[in-house]
Amino acid sequence: MSTTAVRAEAPARDTLAQTALSLPSRAVAVFSGPLGLALKILLLALVNGIAVWAAIVLADAGKWPAFAVLAVTTLALDAAYLVRRALPLKFLLPGTLLMLAFQVIPIFYTVNVAFTNYSTGHILAKNEAVEGIQLNSLAPLENAKSYLMAPARDADGNLVLLLVDEATGDTFVGTREALTPIERDKVQVDELGVAGAEGYTLVTGPGLVAIDRELTAYTVPTDGAAAIRPEGLGVASELAPTLRYDAARDRFVRISDGVVFTDNDRGSFAAASGEELEPGWKTSIGFSNFSRIAKSPLVRDPFLRVFVWTFAFAFLAVLLSFVLGLLLAIALDKPGMRLQRSYRTLLVLPYAIPGFLSLLVWQGLLNDDFGVVNRVTGLDVPWLFDSNWAKVSVILVSVWLTFPYFFLISLGALQSIPAELTEAARVDGGGPWQVFRRVTLPLLLIVVAPLMIASFAFNFNNFGNIYFLTGGGPASSDQTTAGDTDILISYTYKLAFASGKGQDYGLASGVALIIFFIVATISSLAFWRTNALENIR
Amino acid sequence: MSTAEHLETSAAVGLGTRTRRARRRPRVLGGTWWRHVLAILVILWALFPIAYVTSAAFNANQTLGSATLVPERVTLDNFRYLVEGEVPGRPGDPPTEVPYLRWYANTMIIAACTAVLTVLLGALAAYAFSRFRFKGRRLGLLALLLIQMFPQLLLVVAIYLIVLHTGAVFGFIGLNTLTGLILVYLGGVMGVNVWLMKGFFDTIPAELDESARVDGATPAQVFWGVILPLAAPVLAVIGLFSFIGVVNEFVIASVLLQEQDKFTLARGLWGFIDQKYSENWGTFSAGVLLAAPPVVILFLFLQKFIVSGLTGGAVKG
Repeated sequence: MSTTAVRAEAPARDTLAQTALSLPSRAVAVFSGPLGLALKILLLALVNGIAVWAAIVLADAGKWPAFAVLAVTTLALDAAYLVRRALPLKFLLPGTLLMLAFQVIPIFYTVNVAFTNYSTGHILAKNEAVEGIQLNSLAPLENAKSYLMAPARDADGNLVLLLVDEATGDTFVGTREALTPIERDKVQVDELGVAGAEGYTLVTGPGLVAIDRELTAYTVPTDGAAAIRPEGLGVASELAPTLRYDAARDRFVRISDGVVFTDNDRGSFAAASGEELEPGWKTSIGFSNFSRIAKSPLVRDPFLRVFVWTFAFAFLAVLLSFVLGLLLAIALDKPGMRLQRSYRTLLVLPYAIPGFLSLLVWQGLLNDDFGVVNRVTGLDVPWLFDSNWAKVSVILVSVWLTFPYFFLISLGALQSIPAELTEAARVDGGGPWQVFRRVTLPLLLIVVAPLMIASFAFNFNNFGNIYFLTGGGPASSDQTTAGDTDILISYTYKLAFASGKGQDYGLASGVALIIFFIVATISSLAFWRTNALENIR
Repeated sequence: MSTAEHLETSAAVGLGTRTRRARRRPRVLGGTWWRHVLAILVILWALFPIAYVTSAAFNANQTLGSATLVPERVTLDNFRYLVEGEVPGRPGDPPTEVPYLRWYANTMIIAACTAVLTVLLGALAAYAFSRFRFKGRRLGLLALLLIQMFPQLLLVVAIYLIVLHTGAVFGFIGLNTLTGLILVYLGGVMGVNVWLMKGFFDTIPAELDESARVDGATPAQVFWGVILPLAAPVLAVIGLFSFIGVVNEFVIASVLLQEQDKFTLARGLWGFIDQKYSENWGTFSAGVLLAAPPVVILFLFLQKFIVSGLTGGAVKG
């Protein structure tokens, strides 16, 4: 909002222009010829130097796609700055490259995700999910043995497992190929577990951390599909899969009852009964996220509630801030009024203080147990913990943060309205109210209305105000992710990252797209009103 | 629209009545007492939290529940804790680590670098849009607006992945680096800022460029020598807003900077108050009191430009 409209100040231009007229010749003198060229070459050399270094690092790490992108980008950069043509490009490239990397690519990614089921339980790629299901399906055999276990290295440095059967005390060495018995007295066992074995070196301390992943995937095949697997660092047990993956027909079969789980096209293996295997995988699901928002009561109802409140919040926050700001501006728009400047400075303070600080402070002040507001006013209002009061608080604090902005604008606008206009209206017999309503306000709105629309669009996505003050809470009675003061953007944030009910990044991206269309519509309305687009000269 | 008619008629009438300007205003709005009352009432409301924070910062009593407007015993302990980076817990509890000065320095470094580079890179692009006519210019300007309208918050996952993978190869722009965060913020340079600067550049007469070109200046020299100095006010305002924006930014900063020593003030103070909410109110207040001045002073200093920038020219057309 704050960056909405900074325009030229016309009167200052003339004097500035005169100073500037002498500037070109000076600039030419300083930067022309050898120095300018040297600077350009130096900068370009620096960029190329960094690129070459980065290329070596990338090649070293075997990141060939990234290497290719880097090479192409660097060559394009060099071409753009060495060739005489394509002048605008020289000025546009730096910002554009950064925008591509950190805005455009993420946007494409997010839009893509909106059409997938990316969420808790659907994060992996399919082949990873198949592995995951196989791993999950492992269960102890009926009379499974469990072992004391210690990872060790044999004479050749290969990782093996030293195993002691907990029931019988039989000792084994397990490799990836087989389980081999060894003599009992070669293995030392103490109260902590396997303490050592002849011919093997135990892996200990930091070494354990290093082999953590290798160990998790380590299997010692025993009988058929069954295998001994480490469970943690000190024990192992014999497990067998309960599901069989049929790679050729891309399906799982449950060994016990023969139930078949097939790919259901929504990122899961599912049985005819609807039972799904965990985990699923990330896959494209078309418009499902959007149809969920439109149809599924679990998604639609909270979405609608949040949607309505978002509009109400943004509208009220802007309207009340404007009214208060305008009132103050009218009050202080009196030439020669005492203390005018002091008032103005003090009134602007809430706007000048970084918003997150004010919001955190307000959160403390409104706390109903220890909060200063309740103690000072003698009230006992659950400012942040009651659904309606929390909404009131959110709006009040938003007004506190925003009214100085409208105060400043309104004051500036009032002062720029030529006195002749209001005088004339009065001469024509208009009362003060009529003059204000029919002359001052319309003129004022020409300036302020676009800024109000911009402010509305800003508040529409005002994550900070909600998150820092109420965190979207209090929790809604319908037990969904959406709290009572959540606006679309904070609801989306919770959906994507912060809810205790699992994360649904696919749905969140869908909502983000909807927000985008709403904001784009509001903004184009604003631009249509102010004709800004017509003015692209 | 009736508004437009009003404007025209009142403007026309206005021309005819110039000589009567000195007429006194009607009595109803003439009194000043109500102006003072309204201003003072709103100022009380506006300063209420500020007063409490100031008081709590100097109050020897830490807790939120016992905060009073006039401190019972004035102390600088809260500021000392912040400088030392440790707040003593209740008897028996370990002290809470608060690397406040680090957060402060991080925030200032990130905000200052981002602001300066935003102005520089944004001005370069704005210059191209303002002074050159090229294919795709109109489309480019529209695209900048559209891209900015996408909720940035949701991009954080993709941004995180990009920074994570880049950082795995180039540690100095990876997670938990200030440089990485600055780069990400710079991704937002092209947008509203460019529009605003372009708007300002458009008002700088093209004759100035032309006379410089006649003198033999290249476009780059015109940019550095003519446009930038003339646009100083708007550059200052955009730099300021960019600075404030970065100081206030929470989500991306907290996702990319996960080590306590790398936090920004927003992330750090949020976590601090979240943990020991009412207990460390005093120290938190001191932190707020120290964090606000740079932005407030910058703001008040540039206020003149901001107001004229927001309203200037709009009524004049």
